[in-house]
Formats: sequence, structure tokens, C-alpha cells
Amino acid sequence: MKRRTFLSTTAAAAVGTQVLGGVPLKAFSPFDLGEHVQADDDRILIVIQMFGGNDGMNMIIPADDPEYYKIRPSIAVPKEKAINVLSRVYMHPSLDAKAPYNLKRMFEDGRLAIVNGIGYEAPSLSHFRSTDIWLSGFNSSDPNKRLVDGWLGRYWSNKINGFPEVLPPDPIAVQIGGSLSMLLQSPKGDIGIALTDPQKFFELGQGLSPDMDPMPEDTRYGREFNFVRLVAEQSDRYSTVVKNAFDKGENKTTYDDTNFVKQMKLVARLISGGLKTKIYLVYMGGFDTHVQQQDENLNGLHPYLLEKLSTGIGTFMQDALIQGFADRVVGMTVSEFGRRPYENGSRGTDHGAASVQFVWGNGVRAGVYGEMPDLQNFDSNGDLRYQWDYRRVYADVLENWFGGTPEDTEGVLEDKVLPLGVLQRATSVDDAYAGKVHVDVKVMPQPMRDHSVLEWYQSVPGLVNVEIYGSEGRFLQTLYTDRVVPGTIRVPVRGIASGSYICTVTVNGARTVVPLTVVR
Amino acid sequence: MNRRNLFTSLVRASQRGGGALDAAPMVQAGLEPYTTPLTLEDVFHLYRRLGFSVSMPVATTHVGKQAADVVEELLGEDDPGDPTPDMVFAKWRDPATQLMVDYTENPQGADLQTRLAIEGWWKGNHRSFSNWWLATMYRDARAVERLTLFWMSHWCTEFSFDETYMVPQMHYRHYRMMRKNRLGNFPSMALDVTVDNAMVFYLGGTYNEVGKPNENYGRELLELFTTGIGWYTEGDVKEAARVLTGWKASRFNDQPAPKGIYNTWFDANKHDTGAKEFLGVTIPARTVDNNTEFQVLNEEVFELIKIIFRVRPDAAARFIARKAYLYFVYSSKGDVDESFVNDLAAEFRAANFDIKPMLKKLFTSQHFFDPALRGAQIKTPVEYVVGLQRQFGVEELDPQIWVLDMDQIMLDPPNVAGWPGHHTWISTNTYPRRREFARKLIDAMTDARANAFIREFADYEDVAKFVLAVTRFLLPVDVSQARLDFYKSALLEGQPDYTWAEKLEVPSAAARAMRELLKAIAKAPDFQLC
Repeated sequence: MKRRTFLSTTAAAAVGTQVLGGVPLKAFSPFDLGEHVQADDDRILIVIQMFGGNDGMNMIIPADDPEYYKIRPSIAVPKEKAINVLSRVYMHPSLDAKAPYNLKRMFEDGRLAIVNGIGYEAPSLSHFRSTDIWLSGFNSSDPNKRLVDGWLGRYWSNKINGFPEVLPPDPIAVQIGGSLSMLLQSPKGDIGIALTDPQKFFELGQGLSPDMDPMPEDTRYGREFNFVRLVAEQSDRYSTVVKNAFDKGENKTTYDDTNFVKQMKLVARLISGGLKTKIYLVYMGGFDTHVQQQDENLNGLHPYLLEKLSTGIGTFMQDALIQGFADRVVGMTVSEFGRRPYENGSRGTDHGAASVQFVWGNGVRAGVYGEMPDLQNFDSNGDLRYQWDYRRVYADVLENWFGGTPEDTEGVLEDKVLPLGVLQRATSVDDAYAGKVHVDVKVMPQPMRDHSVLEWYQSVPGLVNVEIYGSEGRFLQTLYTDRVVPGTIRVPVRGIASGSYICTVTVNGARTVVPLTVVR
Repeated sequence: MNRRNLFTSLVRASQRGGGALDAAPMVQAGLEPYTTPLTLEDVFHLYRRLGFSVSMPVATTHVGKQAADVVEELLGEDDPGDPTPDMVFAKWRDPATQLMVDYTENPQGADLQTRLAIEGWWKGNHRSFSNWWLATMYRDARAVERLTLFWMSHWCTEFSFDETYMVPQMHYRHYRMMRKNRLGNFPSMALDVTVDNAMVFYLGGTYNEVGKPNENYGRELLELFTTGIGWYTEGDVKEAARVLTGWKASRFNDQPAPKGIYNTWFDANKHDTGAKEFLGVTIPARTVDNNTEFQVLNEEVFELIKIIFRVRPDAAARFIARKAYLYFVYSSKGDVDESFVNDLAAEFRAANFDIKPMLKKLFTSQHFFDPALRGAQIKTPVEYVVGLQRQFGVEELDPQIWVLDMDQIMLDPPNVAGWPGHHTWISTNTYPRRREFARKLIDAMTDARANAFIREFADYEDVAKFVLAVTRFLLPVDVSQARLDFYKSALLEGQPDYTWAEKLEVPSAAARAMRELLKAIAKAPDFQLC
């Protein structure tokens, strides 16, 4: 059997038409799977953390909405200055940065996905709690639940055999600068290293191994001892590996000399030098724009940061294209929340809720996901409502980028979360032999009133699981789960309230997604 | 005992995030006073947590005393007074003229060269301030600076943030205010901070005006400084912001400063005089006549703070007690002993939120001295840098650069929540710097200093006892015999025991051996723990 036979139709394929509403998509063809990528183990994720709460509404501008200009009289981007990139979708002009390549051009070239309305239920407006929620991947409204490790930390610490007693030859994750983020922490220890300057890291890292065995973990002292010991071992071992990659690697384009852009430059050079790191974490601060975020000439802290974001990603992308590693890298932005739709009295914005997320790279299904924000319908605190659960892109990363399974996602996030479909799915020959088949599901009738039937034909026997999710991606209920023999399968659906849903049919672990609309 | 066990079972289930390790074994000891006469190890432990470690000669003087007496001595009654006059950062020495000047020019709107000059000046002053403070910590025989640092890590301000800087003169006044309040009444401290010039500037209070509220400080007052999340609504945040309208920071000579530069003032026209409803309590509207600084300060701002402590006394007491626990006992957020924190919070509340009695209870409790909690803290960069100088008796002249390299910029935490602490203090970025700093200090010990250091230990002539004593001085928990043997062989450079007596007779040989031993110990993971 040919591998291609088993290519997925993916979550995005089925869901895309439903969720994109009136926004026509460029570079988005649900069934164009020509660019699928093999699930190799050299795939890289770059996470860009924008601390402070990025003002998504002044990044992707609702310039066709008169309400926007009413609620932001002094800091709105005038329509004639906003860049129209798609029907009803405008970019802040700072994203068209004067750089070798930038986010605006990446969007035009099909290398950028704009996820409108990313957020979560019962949003926390605290920087710290919300950052913890984003990095841990746990949306817990219980403030007493301690969030202590990260979704990527948990995933990779379980994927590496024998970790942390056995360290892989290259660091799993590299954070540029600072103290290691919660994102890269796991119950088994840190999965990554933090470094600022590879040369210094090398000079100082040599011979740092304490040459001692771990302690028993049954005391506080023993645990902390082991934590420090692991960092010391990693410093010693990885200082040479990183230096070698740094020396071998190169940059083939010109980066500007600002902090974030230089971080992206270093990442490009380490990848170019062959470092087998899976995750890079880079950091930008300053998004907490309570005061003077933008003046009448569209200058100010927020435009500056957007310009740097666009320059950093764009320059990196150009470097990656020239050097030929562009297909192996995708990036995503995370920021703890957006801003309040209404501006405050200081030409700034206070803490808000839903915002905009960027996912970029050759491996993304470019386009705009979700509607422009609804400025007539805020939540009880006067903030934007979310359209997508923030973990949906995480599920994409785990399943469609790193080749994990829905079970991996559920294990890591302790919740069933559907990929948004923003990344192209990796498939493998193994899937075929495991009977992981994607099926062609019909919903009859659609839209459904009191009841409908899901029907598909499957050629292999196996375990079938049918689930219903809300349109934002949160799990609602299991409709059916059983072992079946090959043939035509019919599953009745009834008793569902009016609304838009996502229905999943999973056969031996391969998931097919269909929209379900209920009108009662 | 039953109460503690019951409580434990209740909290354990909800405490930790998914997949984390099981909680650490329970410490049975609680707030009961620790009355055992202090051993040398107890003294080390107390000073590692409440001071910045301790030299051997000072530690020896406390052996056999009661914890209550030593803690009282460290906390102190009296006002330590302001720092010595030449250290007053109200004025700065102009490097060109050597004159003391107030540099109050506003760089905004100035030409680029002037702006860079002013900002460069501030940066220089910030470095001097940092080094001065670290040197003051090094010399502080009590816990004055340690507690000031604790409170400045709680009520955070930053030297550099957004696109601007905290003028160091303002920052110094802020520091002095914290120092004065370090043992006093918490709500009074809260009032002082709320209208402090540096804070009014830092969290946007100066932009918070009637009709144009800025929620920044109102939110953090609740979330980070008093009750923590979960005890107020978003509406309370908005109302707090309204209460706090009208306070203005004074930063530059081209801005109004009715009370003198660097002093907060009140602009009655910018205050929201309407009634406010905060945590279910109404703060009545006021008229133009009683919209004065004095009345608004007492009837609204202080009232706002008093409402927090009246309506949410348990939440606030627990929040502060937990902060102290994390800072002084064990920093792992998933392993806070909630039962102990509750008891400590009850004491705090009973003492009307006076800080000193609460801290005294903490540091004289059996819980604090329990062996299960020793060696569990990761030394912060400041503790590490100041502590090693004290332990080795060697002073570093530019300590702020080392602290900075270890990712703690003095007076400049990463954000308003302060340094996140615990595991964030050690990474592959900072661990090599820590090792480098230890190596540098050890190499900086002169032969004379190294020989004096050796003789600070009572049984220094007995090599086995000496090595044991040095490990106990530098490491928080007794180490295995195998490690002791390894350290002894590092000291003796692999030679037999009797050579120690010979080395002692040759100062350069003894000093070299001593440095080898210290370097071997500094390599151990638990050298980072206290």
C-alpha cells in the first residue's frame, strides 16, 4: 500500500469551511495535500513568547468595523494606514517591516496563519496566572491549582527514553537568555538549556559535571540536589555540542542589531550548524501597554515591538529559505492575553482576554482562522470573547508537527483537545500498518434538527470512537465507542442543542473531523 | 497532630499540577517554639535563611543560645537609622566636577545626546546604588537588609521597564521607605507604598485620573501585594482604580512638584469624587470641599487598604504568610505546608498584621528548624554572592555584575511579580557563572586569609575533623563518608593524613591545599543549596 493512500484529510480540512465564515482564504485549500511532510524527527518548533499581553486588536486591525474607531479614539489605526491583506482583514503597518522579509509578505506567500480570537474559558487577567495557564497548557480556574511545568516539557520528557538519567546527545530544547521557562520544565526535570552566548557557555561550561550520582528523591534536599545536578550535567555536556553547532553554522542574510532579532539570528545559526534541538524559545517583553502605546503617527512601544516581531521572524525565514531548512521549522507566538477593547485614559489599554496568535513557516496552512472580533458582544468584563481554545494549536504541534497521537495530546493536556488544523499533518507508513484509516463521514441530514446519522465505510476492523466538541474545540461528550468489523457504520446522533459543533470519528487512532450544525 | 494530618489530606489532592512529583514528606513540627539550645549547624541554618550566611567566628558566639534570643538580635527593635551620609543617593557625585548635584533634567524632548547622557547617568547611579546595597548587605550584622530585600521583592518596582527608567533618586527614597517599614505594620506599609512616588510612577498611578482610569496598580495591589487571585472581582479592580485616582509622581524639574521633587502629590481635579463600591463596602462620594489630599488619603486610600484587611483578613494573612514561607523556608510552590502557613497567618492576624511578631514566630518555630527542611532552598544570586563573601571573608568590589550574570539585576526584577525564584535561579545560563564566581573568590583568598580561615575552625589540626567542619560550614546537610574522603584527598592532594601537619607549617602550602578543598566543595550541587 502506498503511504499516500492514507494521508489525512485533517481537522482543518473539514472544519475550515465551517469556521472561516465570510473570510475567503488565500493559499488555503483543504484538500490540497500535495505539500504534506514526512514525520521525520528533525522537525523544529520556535516558540516566541510575547510577555505583557499583546494587543491583538491593534495588530490585526478590524478597520471595517466603525465600532473599533469609537472605542479607540486615540490609538486606533486609521483605515487608510492599515494594510488590507484579505477581505476585512488588515495588518498594522508596522508588520510590513523594512526588513529582508516580513510577516506581511509571509502572509502573501502563504507562510503565515493568523488565528483570530485565541483564548480560553473564564480568562484570568493576571499576567502571571495567565502566563502559567498558557505555558502549562492547563486552563484551571482554580487559583489553588499550582501550575508547575510546561506542556512541551511534559511531552518531551516522556518521549525520550530514560530521561533524565539518560540525556540525549543534543539538548531537546534551547531557550535564548534568561532562566529556564516553565514551558520547558517537566516533573522529571528540565528538558532544555538556557544560553545567551554560545562562546561563553562553552568557556564556562567545561568540566562543570559534579561527578556525583543522583540522591534519593524522598527528601526536599534530595530533589533540589538532583535538580542542580542535572543542570550541571547539561551545562557540561551541551556546552560543547552547542559550540560545535554554532561554529559550524552560519547566517546568510543580514539581521538587525536589536535584541529579539538577534535571538532569531542565533536560532538560525544553531539550526544551520546541525543542532538536533526540537524546540527553541525566544522572548520579547514590553507588551503590557497600559500607557502611551501608540501616538497619532503610529509610533510608540507597541508598533515598535510589532516591527521587531515582523523583522525577526521575516529575516529568520529568509535565512531559512536560503539555507534550505525552511521546511523543517514552524513558529508560534504566545502571549498571556490581549488588551481591553476600549482604550484607557493614558493612550494605552488595560488587560483583556482573547487575542491573535501567529503560526508561521512553510508547514502551516496559511490563512485567517476565525472571525474578526465582535465589538458588539463582549464578555461580562467588557473583553473580547474567544473563538478558539488556546490549546488547539498546541494539539496541532503535538499531533501534526511532532507526530504525536490524540492520546499524547490528552495525556499532556489532561483534556481532549482537537488540533485546529493550522499545521500540515505528518503521516507515516506505520500508520497504514496499524490500520489507522481516515474515513469519509457523511452527516445525514445536515443541518440536523432532532436527530441525524453519521455514516461511513471502513475497510479495516478496529476500535471506533465518536466524539462531539464545541466549535472552539472543547470536548463535550462521547457519542459512541466500540469495536467494529469492516463495512458501513452508522451512528445515530440525537438530543443536541442548537449550535455549531465539531464531530470526530477516530478509527484505530486516526481521526476524521466533520462539522455538525444543529438547528432546532 | 490530628488537625495537621487531616488538613494535609485535604490539601494534597488539589495542590499540585498534573504529573508533578508527589508532595514532599510532611513535616510534623509546627509553630511550637524551638527551645533546644542552638548547635553550630542550627546557627548556620538560621543565618543562611534570615541573614546572608555567617562567618565562622560570629557563628561560634551563638552556640548554646536560645533561638528566640538570636532571632530577636537579628530582627532588632531599634531603627537602624539611615545609611551613612556619603551613601545618600539623594544627590550624586558628578564625575566631571566631583560636586554633589541633583540631576533632575527631563530627557524626553531633549536632543539625543542629552537624553543618552541623562540615561547613562541613571545607569551609572543604578550600578553604584546596587553595589552600595550589596556591600551594605555584606556588612549588615543583623537582618535589616535581608528583610528590606524581601519586601522589595514583594512590593516590586523596576529600574528599567517599558521604554523608561526609574530615576535612581526616586528608587533610593523608595528603598528607604521599605527599610523603615520592614518590621512594622503591614497595612501601614501598604499605605506608604501606595502613595510612594516610585510606585505611583511605576504602576501608572500618575496616569490614573477621573474618567480615564488606569487599573494597573489597583489590580496588582490585590493580586500580587495583599490577597492574591480569587478574593476579588474584576469590578473591585475597577473600583480600586477609581479610589486611587489623582496621585501624581514627581520625576523631573519641568513637572509640577508642589511638595518638592521626588515627592508624590495630589491633584484634586483628577480625583474621582463619586462613591465607590469595593469588596462590598461603600466609600461615599465627596464634595469639592472635602476633596483634599489629607482627607482622600485617609478616607479613601487608607480606607481602601483597611477594607482589604477587614473584609479579607484571612486571605491577606495567608497570602503574606505563604510569601514568607516561600522566601524563607521552601520555595517550591507545590510544596508549601498549608497547615503551617494557616497557623502562621492566624498569628499574623492576631498581631493585627504587625510583621515582626509573625516573623519571630516563624524563625523560632520547630518547623523552621526541622531537619527535613534544611538544604531545600536554592540560594538566590544575592544570597550566593553576599554569602560566599561572608563565608570566605573576601570582599568582591563589583558584586552587582556577578549578581546580574546570575540573572538577578539588583532593583530591577523582570516584572511586577518579582523574581519567580526556586528553579528559575539555576539554569545552564547561570550555573556556570555561579561556579565561576566561587572560583574567583577562592582564588582571591590571599595566603594570609586562607591560613586565618583554617584557624577559624576549632579542630583544624585534626584533618578528618577539619574537613567535616568545613563541609558543615559550607553545605547545608551532612554528606556521605565517601564524599568526606574525597574532600580530604582534595585537601591533601592525595597524600596521607600526616602531611596535613606539615602543610600547616608552610603557609603557602596550607593556603593552596585550602583552596583545593574549597574548589572541590564548590563543585557539589548542594553548594548551591542552603
